[in-house]
Amino acid sequence: MRKIFPADLLARDERFVRLTTEQRFMDPRSPGSRSNPRGAMKLTPDRPDAPDAARALMHGIFVGEVQALEGAGRTCWDFETGDGGDETPFALKLDMARQCWDEARHCEISVKLSDWMGTELGEFSESTFLYEAACNPDPVLRLTGVNRALEGLAIDVFNTMKEFGDIAGDPVLEFCEDWMLADEVTHVKMGSDWLRRLTEKDPERRERALEFQRIVDKLFSLGGFRGEDDDSPIRLARRFRELAGFDKEEMDDLAEISREAKADADRMREQLVAEANA
Amino acid sequence: MADPKKARAPFAPWDRRELPGAFTVEESARRVGNYKWIEMKLFEVLGGWVATVPELDVKMRLGTHCYHHAWHSELWHKRLPELREMNPDRLTLPANDELVAFVDAMTEPEAPDLTIEKLVGVYRVLIPHKIAAYTFHLNNTSTITDAPTIRSLKFALQDEFEDWRDGEMLIQSLIDTDAEVDRAAAHQAKLEKLMLAAGGIAGPGSIGSAYTEQEAHA
Repeated sequence: MRKIFPADLLARDERFVRLTTEQRFMDPRSPGSRSNPRGAMKLTPDRPDAPDAARALMHGIFVGEVQALEGAGRTCWDFETGDGGDETPFALKLDMARQCWDEARHCEISVKLSDWMGTELGEFSESTFLYEAACNPDPVLRLTGVNRALEGLAIDVFNTMKEFGDIAGDPVLEFCEDWMLADEVTHVKMGSDWLRRLTEKDPERRERALEFQRIVDKLFSLGGFRGEDDDSPIRLARRFRELAGFDKEEMDDLAEISREAKADADRMREQLVAEANA
Repeated sequence: MADPKKARAPFAPWDRRELPGAFTVEESARRVGNYKWIEMKLFEVLGGWVATVPELDVKMRLGTHCYHHAWHSELWHKRLPELREMNPDRLTLPANDELVAFVDAMTEPEAPDLTIEKLVGVYRVLIPHKIAAYTFHLNNTSTITDAPTIRSLKFALQDEFEDWRDGEMLIQSLIDTDAEVDRAAAHQAKLEKLMLAAGGIAGPGSIGSAYTEQEAHA
């Protein structure tokens, strides 16, 4: 089996429909889509399309968990064990194996929750941009992209879904999201701890890793999908991120990245509307 | 209650543990180093295969089992310094080159239509050999002096039995035709021959010898 497995070869059964990231963002039905004239909307039970929006988000969580499982698994395999620059320490691989188990459980939970919410697997599309962050050939950059950016997004998503479950009166959803949230805080903390340990004597590598994280974070802000505004569909979960090793400055930066992503998306949207009206 | 000052035997009547064991500290450490190596190779490939299998139930089970074997490797890693091997990496070795050849062949399948081969290698060949070697160690080492190894062996064996059953049932559920039976059997035979050449996960003597000394030398 090869090292570094490309995203377009991720194995799926016939139910899954894959879109490119570009197709996904241009699809007007996607939340936060650049061509969605409504723009991003906060997920609340009083929205007329709340059930469908929640089901779509749940399906997105499910495919995200599958890719997170695949990414953690590849980190166990892709690198030789050791302390060299292109190697991965034994203890880090053990953490990634633990993460595999956690993500496998999250897949199981997501399948059960999707069924609970009336969704069939494959009903919504999948794009592989989450897994793509897990393909970086530098183990430190990969760790930062996955465990701090991707898993950090998961903290925000699960916290939002947990609150939605509470407001919507769905104790099953709230219960499950709270358990998954606990795991994600652990994963982000793993990322924060390993980033510090692996780059202790290499500040340049640390800066490269944090820059990669900023790029991934901007991508994961999904045109304003995740942010701190009242209408942000996914809210930045500062309290849980702090537990996972994020400091205030980093979270302020992340909020700024999200605002920039939203401003970019708003400009694109206005341009599209103007073109349509011309 | 009886008089608390009355003398009691140090070993209760039902405690039949004995001092003698088949392994020296060095031999136990050598085996534990081999166990750690094979557990590492196993959890790494299970993690790598997750992305390559299209069957969702298999994908999720591989993710779960990946952690089981990582945890076993951690148990063995922690046991090595307790067996006077202060540099655990020094004994984290394959038993021999033949076992490396076995692992290379077992980890080779990648294509999405080779799930049967992937599972057969792990659940019909490697894990049964691990169960055999761990059981031999469990039943032959000193139940008093090597009790920490025994405790880890029991934890590992419990996972191995459950994972073997999971994997075997997945294989049975995937095999639909006579041709697939033949595929599974052919791959098993190929890998079993490589394992035979290796002599087991800890090399020759992994499960001792069932022959009398006279016959073994004949």
